[in-house]
Amino acid sequence: MSVLEIRNLHATVEDREILKGVNLTLRSGEIHALMGPNGSGKSTLAYVIAGHPHYEITDGDILIDGESILEMEPDERTKAGVFLAFQYPVAVPGVSVANFLRTAVSNVRGYTTRPVEAEGRSGVIGSNLMPMREFRRELTDKMKEFNVDPSFARRYLNDGFSGGEKKRTEVLQMAMLEPKFGILDESDSGLDIDALRVVSDGINKLATPDRGFLLITHYQRILNYVKPNYVSIFYGGRVVMTGGPEVAHMLEEKGYGWVEREFGEAVAA
Amino acid sequence: MSVLVKEPEAIMQSVQGFSEDTVRAHSAARNEPAWMLEFRLDAWRQFETMPWPSANDEAWRRTRLTGFDIANFKPLAVSSGTVEKAELSRLLQEEINEMDSAASMVFEDSSLRYSVFHAKLSECGVIFADLQSAVREHPDLVQKYFMTKAVKPGLNKFTALHAALWDTGTFVYVPAKARVTLPLQVILNQVSDGVGGYHHTLVVTEEGAEVTVVDDLLGAKDGMQASVVELVIGNSSVVRYMNLQDFDHSAWNFLTGRAVLGRDADLRWIQVSWGSRLTKAFLDVDLQGTGGHAELLGIYFPIGHQHIDHQTLQIHRAPHCFSDLLFNGALKDKSRSVYMGVIQVFPGAQKTDAYQRNGNLILDATARADSIPGLEIQADDVRCTHAATAAQVEEEYVFYLMARGLSRAQAERMIVQGFFQAVLDRVPVESVVHKLERVIERKIGG
Ligand SMILES: Nc1ncnc2c1ncn2[C@@H]1O[C@H](COP(=O)(O)OP(=O)(O)O)[C@@H](O)[C@H]1O
Ligand SMILES: [Mg+2]
Repeated sequence: MSVLEIRNLHATVEDREILKGVNLTLRSGEIHALMGPNGSGKSTLAYVIAGHPHYEITDGDILIDGESILEMEPDERTKAGVFLAFQYPVAVPGVSVANFLRTAVSNVRGYTTRPVEAEGRSGVIGSNLMPMREFRRELTDKMKEFNVDPSFARRYLNDGFSGGEKKRTEVLQMAMLEPKFGILDESDSGLDIDALRVVSDGINKLATPDRGFLLITHYQRILNYVKPNYVSIFYGGRVVMTGGPEVAHMLEEKGYGWVEREFGEAVAA
Repeated sequence: MSVLVKEPEAIMQSVQGFSEDTVRAHSAARNEPAWMLEFRLDAWRQFETMPWPSANDEAWRRTRLTGFDIANFKPLAVSSGTVEKAELSRLLQEEINEMDSAASMVFEDSSLRYSVFHAKLSECGVIFADLQSAVREHPDLVQKYFMTKAVKPGLNKFTALHAALWDTGTFVYVPAKARVTLPLQVILNQVSDGVGGYHHTLVVTEEGAEVTVVDDLLGAKDGMQASVVELVIGNSSVVRYMNLQDFDHSAWNFLTGRAVLGRDADLRWIQVSWGSRLTKAFLDVDLQGTGGHAELLGIYFPIGHQHIDHQTLQIHRAPHCFSDLLFNGALKDKSRSVYMGVIQVFPGAQKTDAYQRNGNLILDATARADSIPGLEIQADDVRCTHAATAAQVEEEYVFYLMARGLSRAQAERMIVQGFFQAVLDRVPVESVVHKLERVIERKIGG
């Protein structure tokens, strides 16, 4: 059982404050939906949790099981159990999904830091990576399970992938890296109904009691497939309301215009 | 052969400096026919009358020969006879073992050191010979094609020098319809320090013939190499050529290469420039027949103070031809690269389809890449595009990979490898791909 805690988090980009005191707690086994209008700072929050160097934290803290992660590099946060599924995954030319994922998995599972093995097979390139066969087998199995075509292993990361293919590959990567906390930034946006179902199925498969999800979304639609325990409304760089699934329904009914009317002044102040 | 072993040594030991006498002695030591001596002497005279490149020449404006003095080199290395494979250096043996090739030749210094052939090659009428023997054994073919169709002696100062003093070389002849599926492997190792070397590659294919040739160039410590590559590609013939230059970082390297393509001919040329202190390479594809298809793909990765210059020409003389050029280079430390390229479309070469791209990945702020693309188009129904980029490692890529658990160093390494992948993906020989990957790995590391 783990806890990801965001306390009074303030962050700026190029001297503009985007996050204005975010408070949120996510526990293993929970799915917490974070809903908010475009430009409210949802992706900024996701990036800041993952440690993007572009943002400056001016106040507050992010903790995993009581330990601050703010001083950690992005890869250390990933090893500590954080996974960010990007809203807009970048295409990295010439880097194949299988190639980079083998290194990623090897790091996260500690293969690369096992000194004995590295010594025993010194000089062999890749000797401290997860064994190729083992990795291949697991990747093939998970590609099948998460509905990603096997050909994607050799394709270059997000290069020429459709929107749906990108989001599915993000879920596949999450399945391989087995994080404690998945921060899913609009994993539903731009998907047709079939792709949405595939991505939702993937998330549900991964929603085990030892894992928590922050499900960032603009629309209520994905919540028909992935059932949240909590729903928070994010507006103007902070959480303005938290409740159960009924909050999503209310939002669906009243729209973001209502949020603006209700919380606009509070945030502007 | 035995006559040739002792005597040339004696002749060449007496050679001093670059002179007509040296040219005569070199030819005599190799028992060459009169026509070849005449050819050499004529080239020597051209060499003598041509000025050295100066900063006023557009081709040499960004690549200065500061510190280069031909008097600092011995004009020729002394040849040392052939040996068994086991007597070759470990490195060369590995190079031979790693490639699944149809035949191999190893040159060290100025002569053939070792060769191995599959008997089937000659049954098909394929010639894969060292040029020195070919001059005697296939005089008609050599006289017809050697520096007559693709690279003429007077093209530049270094081709003239090469024509006068060429020492090692390969002659490949593939008759009509013959297909050599495995690569022909050639290794040149310039072993002696401080000498001049003049390696020649002459590939001639007839109609419908297919062949893959790999040139591996090594050594040349404190030396100079003025090489020439000639590919004369027949109608509907398919040629894959790889020039893998990995000279010592003290070597001066001058390469002039040109491929001449017949109707519907298909060429892929992979140019790799890893080594040398300075490289100036002129690389041309000359599409002379309708429907020709030429790919010219290059990679380079200068580090330290290396200076690597590629100058390319895509000549479209005939209609309906396609040419695709891609040169990608990464630069470290205080290294420098120059890329100059022109797509030339002659009047009447309608429906030309030509691409030219040069990408540079700058890994240190102290490195510098110049890219000068150009178009000279004299036909109106053509499609030509060119693009040049110089960029640092993209921080968003680094973040993405780090967010997946890669360290910064691992992420950057992978991005640099990935940058070369567009060319590596098109290298048709697997063992070559692995070798190139290892060098890239090494160059990134240190
Ligand atoms: N890297 C950045 N540089 C400049 N402005 C940024 C950057 N990232 C986010 N912003 C700004 O922060 C605000 C919130 O953006 P974002 O976090 O993407 O919102 P959301 O994901 O809720 O749509 C926007 O006004 C956006 O322009
Ligand atoms: Mg967003």
